[in-house]
Amino acid sequence: MKISGKMASFFNFLLGDSARAFGALSVALVALLAVVPAADFLRDWRGYQKRYLRLVRGRSDATSLTRRFQPGLQQIWMPELGVVDRCPTCHSALREASLGDVKDQPFRPHPPIPHSVTGFGCVMCHRGQGAATTVEEAHRSTKSWEDPILPARYLESSCGQCHMERLTGTPLLNQGRQTLARYGCVRCHVIKSPDGVAMTGTDDPPSLAHIGAKTTREWIAAWLKNPQAYASSATMPNFQLPDDDIRDLSAFLIAQSTPYLASREAAPKVPTDDRALKNGASLFGESFCSSCHAIQNAAGMLVGGNLGPELTRIGSKAKPEWLADWLRDPRVYDPDTQMPHYRLDAQQRGLLMAFLGNKTDPDFLGNRHFDPPTSVQIDHGRALVNERGCAACHEINGVKKADNFAPELTLVGSRPLAKILFAPGVAHTLPDYIAAKIRQPRSFSTSLKMPQYTLAPEQVEALVTALLAQTERAQKMPTALRIPPRRASDYHAAGQAGRLMEDLRCFSCHTINGRGGDMAPDLTWEGTAVTRPWLVNFLKNPNTLRPALIRRMPKFNLTDAEADTLADYIMTVYQTPAFDRDSIDSSRFTRADAEHGKELFYGKYACQSCHIVDPDKDKGYIGPTLTQTGARLNAAWVFHWLKNAESLRPGTLEPVWKSSDEDARALSAFLVAQKIAPQTEPAKK
Amino acid sequence: MADTLETQLPRGRGGRVWQSIFRSGLGDTNLRRALAIQQNLFLHLASVKVRKRSLSFRVTWFLGTLSLGTFAILVVTGVPLMLYYHPSVPQAYSDMNDLRFVVSAGLFLRNLHRWSAHSMVLLVFAHMFKVFYRGAYRPPREFNWVIGVVLLLLTLFLSYTGYLLPWDQLAFWAITVGSNLISAMPIVGARIRFLILGGNGVNANALLRFYVLHCVILPLAAVAFVAIHFWRIRKDGGLYHGGSERHE
Repeated sequence: MKISGKMASFFNFLLGDSARAFGALSVALVALLAVVPAADFLRDWRGYQKRYLRLVRGRSDATSLTRRFQPGLQQIWMPELGVVDRCPTCHSALREASLGDVKDQPFRPHPPIPHSVTGFGCVMCHRGQGAATTVEEAHRSTKSWEDPILPARYLESSCGQCHMERLTGTPLLNQGRQTLARYGCVRCHVIKSPDGVAMTGTDDPPSLAHIGAKTTREWIAAWLKNPQAYASSATMPNFQLPDDDIRDLSAFLIAQSTPYLASREAAPKVPTDDRALKNGASLFGESFCSSCHAIQNAAGMLVGGNLGPELTRIGSKAKPEWLADWLRDPRVYDPDTQMPHYRLDAQQRGLLMAFLGNKTDPDFLGNRHFDPPTSVQIDHGRALVNERGCAACHEINGVKKADNFAPELTLVGSRPLAKILFAPGVAHTLPDYIAAKIRQPRSFSTSLKMPQYTLAPEQVEALVTALLAQTERAQKMPTALRIPPRRASDYHAAGQAGRLMEDLRCFSCHTINGRGGDMAPDLTWEGTAVTRPWLVNFLKNPNTLRPALIRRMPKFNLTDAEADTLADYIMTVYQTPAFDRDSIDSSRFTRADAEHGKELFYGKYACQSCHIVDPDKDKGYIGPTLTQTGARLNAAWVFHWLKNAESLRPGTLEPVWKSSDEDARALSAFLVAQKIAPQTEPAKK
Repeated sequence: MADTLETQLPRGRGGRVWQSIFRSGLGDTNLRRALAIQQNLFLHLASVKVRKRSLSFRVTWFLGTLSLGTFAILVVTGVPLMLYYHPSVPQAYSDMNDLRFVVSAGLFLRNLHRWSAHSMVLLVFAHMFKVFYRGAYRPPREFNWVIGVVLLLLTLFLSYTGYLLPWDQLAFWAITVGSNLISAMPIVGARIRFLILGGNGVNANALLRFYVLHCVILPLAAVAFVAIHFWRIRKDGGLYHGGSERHE
């Protein structure tokens, strides 16, 4: 009663009679009319615009800056992209390059980018809430907006929403996508590009159908325990299996293994003396096995390529009879291998086997010894194979590849924070969550199946970048904006030469007509470029063209007939339609042309920074050595190469010179005059 | 000029213009005062005579009047809000963001609407409790009590339908849960849910349906029932002021 009495007297005071009520309501209305517009006027962005005008005032180009400044709310509106970005309201200097020295946000100008700065809006790349006009709402994650500003180091991910091809400006994104394919992420997780095509693996996991013929149960167990202990470059992750599980898995893998069609030829005699080991090592080097296979040297550094498996401890793994068969013709064991069919004779195979068989590591196998497996163990091993998803990567007899083994990651870059369970200690942002999940999957729950990868920090960052590109926005992007990747073609060369090229696995390294690897030059127009005698010689005895590279063309020990077949095919088929190979007759170049060309070479074009013509003087190691240009290349190719190399071989390092006809002609004259006979022995490094 | 004003414009109440509008002229006698109330479209809903005591705060806590006041605020703020709002997906949420970030005083309008809506629900409940505990629902006011219950339901429906319009997570899930509650009714539940949502889920159809209900159907119904409510107060013997009416 007391309270209600007080309230009653209060209401009577305010609204007791009509005059009081009118007065009180009028005062309230006046107060409202003052407060509401004032609050509207004192918004954050007005303050920033005033600060910008003050900042600009003292500068030399103040007049033009002020004239270009637009007061009031500014927005970029692109209905077809769903973009309403009001960022320029505060970020007034986005397009003012003259304010480059200003480091304070929001007045920093936008760094130069390949697109118009405001052509796609801001949120498309930077995320955040474009419609907001307050600092907090625009940049950070709030209750009404879960997509905060993307940290600058992951910015390349936004390019990946439209660009599915490799861009030179996005190394991290490219590396991330390559890693997704290379480490087999895409074999368990479905990751679809915005054009609806699922990414495919490039890791080439071996089939385990005949694993028993290749290696021992002890090796399998040691490998499962820790693949990186066998080869530091191994892409297989560590499944952190208990020893009993390893025992049963190895039992099952040996039990399911079937024999392959092994050769009936007797294994070559393997010499064991020190000289054989030395000769084996030099044969390994001369055959350029290290173009694809790495071996750890005494200092623990990996030397060699990563196309094939690391061979540091191959002697602890491969059974000698298997290795003999493999060196004779790898396709007998694995029809899909990328390894070329070297023409090695029995003695050479013996030397290589001696060299490789010596690459052992007793510490790796330890003193493992298994009793013959029981059927319970084998059954448990089979169950484990299914549970761990081994068949997602490896072919295993009697086990089917599981579809959707792991969660699809096509939209992982838009995963709402509210739907994420964060492990303790992980910052509550999407990039941090993805990074933590890649770094230590089991830290989220010990029952998770995802294995432990051994990745460098920059690899994790690259993976996060590539995964952040998998957004809903990317899926909804207008088709016209999507730039599809270069999809591999299924080109096959025809006839006898074609069979030979498959046998030698040319496409493992070379690209021809859109199919093949990127380790070696594109050969699509090779027939126009080179001369036949040089080509035949090179195929039989590849010598060094690019001194800076460790990876070189292997020596396959081709017969004369095989080299002729390949050379004929290349000279006939791989011809550019752009110009005729014989259109420039090099015999009509004069000495004066060549002299002028030499001046241009060392002067105007400074070619010696990358190429060598005079081995005593020039120091260029980036491009091919040009001492034998006259013997190797056609004059017409050199001429057009100097005009526009990019059009002949997309992606080449050679700059597009667009040189005049006279310059190109003079340089061609100078270069085709370089005719040191090709070395018959492979160059020593 | 002054001369024309003298003749044309009313000098206060009782002038020619005044009389042409209000008919009854000055309230100098009880009859004329009564007529002034009774012959006015708006005022005739109210009682011609009111006991001074029943107008004091103590009697009603002004709860009915305050409910009417919040309703008026809701209408006044709701109409400008409609100017900035499209009942479509996903534009509805962007419109709300625009109100928040770029429309002058948009945030104020929206907040005023929101808080008035909350207060109205609270006030209507308080009003019902007050009427109930004071026994003001008893004959002859039992029909008006029923009208009051209808008005409570209309208030709740208005509040519920308005809740979906921002089209944010809160709205979406609130309506999802609410409509699932409806479908728990035996036999007709699922059908009613389908009818309310215009489909089987909370989507664009539901948003449009709730928008029309919130802005047209329910407010019109509320106005009609409020009118009946007021008119019945007068017909049922004015405001209940406690004590024994029969003997006064």
